[in-house]
Amino acid sequence: MKKITFTLNGESRTVAVAPHEVLLDVLRDKLGVKSPKVGCERGDCGACTILLDGKPVRSCLILAVEVEGQEITTLEGVGRDGPTPLQESFIRHNAFQCGFCAPGIVLAATALLEKNPKPTAHEVQEAISGNLCRCTGYEAIIESAVEAGRQGTARARKPAARKSANR
Amino acid sequence: MKFVGQSATRIDEREKVTGAAPYADDLDFGPNLLHAEIVESPHAHAIIKKIDVSRARKVPGVVKVVTGKDFPYTFGLYMQDRFIFARDRVRFVGEQVAAVIARDPVTAKRAARLVKVTYEPLPFVLDLKEALKEDALLVHPDLKNYGHCAWFFPVPDTNIAHWRKTRKGDIEAGFREADTVLEDTYTVPRYAHCAIEPHVIVGQCDLSGRLTLWSSSQSPHTQRHVFAAALAPLGLKHQDIRVITPYVGGGFGGKAGVSMEIIAAALALAVKGAPVKVRWTREQEFYNTYQRQGVIARIKMGVKKDGSITAIEHTLHWDAGAYVEYGANVVNAVGLSATGPYRVPNVKIDSVCVYTNLPPGGPYRGFGYSEFMFGLESHINRIAKMIGLDPVEFRRRNAIREGDTLPYGAHMNPCALVDAIDKTAAEIEWGKKEEAAAPNKVIGKGFACFWKAPAMPPNAASAAFLKFSEDGSVNISVSGMEIGQGYLTVMAQIAAEVLTVPPEKIRVETPDTDRNAYEWQTVGSHVTWGCGNAVKAAAEEARAKMIEVVHRVHGFAKEDLYLEDERVKCRAKPDFALAFKDFVINGIQTPRGNFLGGPILASGMFMPEFTSATGDPETSQGGHPNVHYTVGAAGIVLEVDKETGKMRVRKVVLAVDVGQAINPDLVKGQVVGGMLQGLATALYEDIRYSPAGKLLNPNFTDYKIPTALDLPDAIVPIIIETPQPDGPFGARGVGEHTMIPSAPIVANAIEDATGLRIKSLPLTAEKVALELRGIRYDDVKGETMGLCFMGDPQKYAFFAKSKA
Amino acid sequence: MSIACEFDYRKPKTLSKAIKLLAKRGRDARVLAGGTDLVGWLRDSLVAPDLLVDIKGFEELKGIGFKNRALVLGALATFSDVLESELVAQHFPLLREMAGMVASNGVRNRATVVGNICSAVPCCDAGPVLQVYNAVVHVRGPNGKRRVPIGQWFLGPRKTAIRPGEIVTSVTVPLPAKKAAGCFVKLKRYRGEDLAQASVAVLAFSGREYRLAFGAVAPIAVRGPRTEALLKGQKLSAGLLEEAGKLAVEEIVPITDIRSTKEYRSLMVEVMVRRALKTAAARLAGRGPAYGINVMEEDTP
Repeated sequence: MKKITFTLNGESRTVAVAPHEVLLDVLRDKLGVKSPKVGCERGDCGACTILLDGKPVRSCLILAVEVEGQEITTLEGVGRDGPTPLQESFIRHNAFQCGFCAPGIVLAATALLEKNPKPTAHEVQEAISGNLCRCTGYEAIIESAVEAGRQGTARARKPAARKSANR
Repeated sequence: MKFVGQSATRIDEREKVTGAAPYADDLDFGPNLLHAEIVESPHAHAIIKKIDVSRARKVPGVVKVVTGKDFPYTFGLYMQDRFIFARDRVRFVGEQVAAVIARDPVTAKRAARLVKVTYEPLPFVLDLKEALKEDALLVHPDLKNYGHCAWFFPVPDTNIAHWRKTRKGDIEAGFREADTVLEDTYTVPRYAHCAIEPHVIVGQCDLSGRLTLWSSSQSPHTQRHVFAAALAPLGLKHQDIRVITPYVGGGFGGKAGVSMEIIAAALALAVKGAPVKVRWTREQEFYNTYQRQGVIARIKMGVKKDGSITAIEHTLHWDAGAYVEYGANVVNAVGLSATGPYRVPNVKIDSVCVYTNLPPGGPYRGFGYSEFMFGLESHINRIAKMIGLDPVEFRRRNAIREGDTLPYGAHMNPCALVDAIDKTAAEIEWGKKEEAAAPNKVIGKGFACFWKAPAMPPNAASAAFLKFSEDGSVNISVSGMEIGQGYLTVMAQIAAEVLTVPPEKIRVETPDTDRNAYEWQTVGSHVTWGCGNAVKAAAEEARAKMIEVVHRVHGFAKEDLYLEDERVKCRAKPDFALAFKDFVINGIQTPRGNFLGGPILASGMFMPEFTSATGDPETSQGGHPNVHYTVGAAGIVLEVDKETGKMRVRKVVLAVDVGQAINPDLVKGQVVGGMLQGLATALYEDIRYSPAGKLLNPNFTDYKIPTALDLPDAIVPIIIETPQPDGPFGARGVGEHTMIPSAPIVANAIEDATGLRIKSLPLTAEKVALELRGIRYDDVKGETMGLCFMGDPQKYAFFAKSKA
Repeated sequence: MSIACEFDYRKPKTLSKAIKLLAKRGRDARVLAGGTDLVGWLRDSLVAPDLLVDIKGFEELKGIGFKNRALVLGALATFSDVLESELVAQHFPLLREMAGMVASNGVRNRATVVGNICSAVPCCDAGPVLQVYNAVVHVRGPNGKRRVPIGQWFLGPRKTAIRPGEIVTSVTVPLPAKKAAGCFVKLKRYRGEDLAQASVAVLAFSGREYRLAFGAVAPIAVRGPRTEALLKGQKLSAGLLEEAGKLAVEEIVPITDIRSTKEYRSLMVEVMVRRALKTAAARLAGRGPAYGINVMEEDTP
């Protein structure tokens, strides 16, 4: 076992892991963070998406020992003070159905909007194309993200911006 | 109406978008949680000679190793042909043979490799042609001893698990009457559901003997029932079993009934006191739950010069896999409805369920209708062309209408199929030829109709409990599943309409069989209708109770009292308005100072009392097996690159008669999602088996489901509302229907664009490109890429001769 | 599904320590960079090393630079780094076009270009593009440094010229001496993320010189020397494109596998070569579609 310390949703966490333990499992089973989902465990579906130093990655393809000293954000860390404008947009559009892909897609879209505050529909499609959804046909998801951008509510994770949400 | 018919926000959306929504795998069970790893058959068919678990048992951290000897019981929803663990023989690659239960998943996985199973491999049958031979190897020699529901008709000592025959009119006279007869074969391979959440279930049998299961399921009560039946030899009864189902990460039929869940129920009994988790990997999700069954459909159709259909003979042979406990009912449903939504005076349908040594088939969104409509709607285009009639006009002339006699003798419910056809045709500008911008591309249009009825036992029931809280908010407990379709929201909207309480003040709970009211299953697109009726009845009962107590205290005539804006009001006394929150828990104070009333509680139930499954086995005449059909039409504008075979959907339109859209936005969600799922089965989903029966692409790397880049340029939903008299506010179901016409509209559009008629799914770019160059795909696909088994319709032409 | 094999994990402080460690442990050790292939293989028990050596800490392996008229892709440069690099966008747009078609964003943020050529699967996307750029693989091992031309790098499916104990430190991509433009075409089963059924990279130079390479249609990414010779100095007429497409098919050895029949691969390579040449030539002339378009899917203006 090896002790690793990293920032999880703004808080420093230390946990003992064996080298073969996968980050996704450690987050879910040892740290109680359940929004990253187990979907395919080979990087195909995106349900396990987290932000690692701000970038969406597959937590099923990362060993927990690799993230020593890094910063991880899961969906729990995004809407901590209430849903972000992007999340509100998803809610308004009834964007998700079963919701299992939602954590990954919300994170992927959040990262996109931070980089590119007013994305086109195609840019949203490209950004979430690694996140499989079997229910919705994606249309409402794409619309939600484009609309959130259009309304200038993109800087989704900053609390100040959150208050200026266009409601 | 104030709430019904409105595009309300989903009541579960906030939970889902914030990650708060719990799925079965998200529940915590503490440090005592055990993990199971399954030892699987590497053979499609073999005798289990010996299982040596001694080495596995010795691994530190292993708690128990379980085999078929420990649970020598069968189970099944409609036919008891499936085993908790394979006993004596295995029947498909991946079948569960043993389980290792350990303290952690890694130990379980390592120890499972140490379980040594000695097999004697047997010949196996993967192909329907082989399975139906006179001297075919029998997948289930004991078929004649299996228990099954009353409407199944297995043929002992064959691989035929069920044969549904429907006969109406005089089929031979029908063909004699016809001016044109066309007969051909169509093949549809297997498909996988691919819910993003794999099956997961945790079972715990406490030391008092109470078995609780936390399950990702569409069918909590049915699971309880099947568990109780299968485990009855161990003394287990319904009262000892509790199934709790939180949110489900997608179902599509794959989480209906009981498949892998039986393993957790059994394992929990093997390690009493500790919870044990069985979580399927993506691979297992593909090969050991259910798959959509493959079908070979032989269609013979007769038409008159004026386009009227005189006769349809539809013979369908289904590759149902190693166990058909659920899949045989798919076969049954098609056997009753394989005419499609048309007026057909003379009908002969044979829908035959065939065992093979492939993974078990079962329910999948569409329940057989997607499969048979591919052939039927392709056939209709061809025969219309033969008589020189526009295919849309052909459908229009034959479209089923209210009161028409169905293939089994009952009568068609209200519907507006002609309206759906006309609106769809207008939306895709049917008849207007479109030119592609690039010289290598051509554009074609495709059209198809669809219908589907829920396939339910005649006594499938729904029930609801309803109660108020002090603030006048409402709590409803039902046992339908929120599998994404928006069921919780729809139930809230139905109750809201009766009670005048806005949906956002109504909580609808996910099921717990100990606490929630009964529901048969969330399948067949029936819960909006069936459970909606139950919720409406409960809300009406609550309304009656509220009115009763106001009447008792204030003395107003009951017929003057009504609900509005969360208040009880009185027509005779306009200034009277009693807010719900002021009396629904603690009653109403009388002038004497005492209180009358108390917590408002209500219940409601619904069972379609008019149905029966008692039709004659030889003709299916006499019963009333289906409650109603939802019908509609779909059209597509498809661009085909003649060089590459690549297709782009420029526009797709689907019109569906939902009776009453309780929530139009959710109906739109079903249209968009279902259409994309259907288009994927047409364009690229492509399951492959090795010649030894091993699934070669049990993953999203090589079984391609649509990404956000694979959307059509436009999807246009058209909602038509011809009320269903026995539906809540006139509603009928819409969940499955939206994927049914996808494959035939693509096939018909390919023909329109290129002249190429492809009679086997999928219609991949590869297949189109090869066939456009005159290369038959089935001649080149070879064995190394896996067998589709159903590729080439020519191979199965002989089925025309297998008359009943 | 958990990883069932046990191994050690080390993250040495310096590259030379890492190389020593790898040399000592030989075939029992594996290098871990992005891990997007390796972690999957560990889970599927396709590999069972005793030791993983994480090289992500080494500054000298990070990033994308330009040195001696060549682009330097450090061993830790991810496909996302390639996509975000101004340098790449300006001078190596073909590389960027390829990177945009690799997997999806969530994988590209982690997966490295060097890892892609070390995995060396036949459908590897970087292979054909590095081939036409005449890239060089830089390797360090216990016996010092080596330079392996990309043409000698791939030895077979999942087999490369790397020796036990060695690490790839970078891949350098020489700046084309003449004005050049390219086109990367990837045949996929749909628009979304997919492994290549076939891929073609074309680099066209002013003076009517062309380089071609193919992916997923031979055991390794291969160049098309005969097709290149045919095209050299020629104007790309419709007839010549036709001829080039047909000749290209003779230079590949596609097989039938789960992703495609060999017949489709062959037919499509013919089409892809035509379209890629046309697009590259148009781009060279300052016309043609912007980089990033997949000419197997989209209309080209």
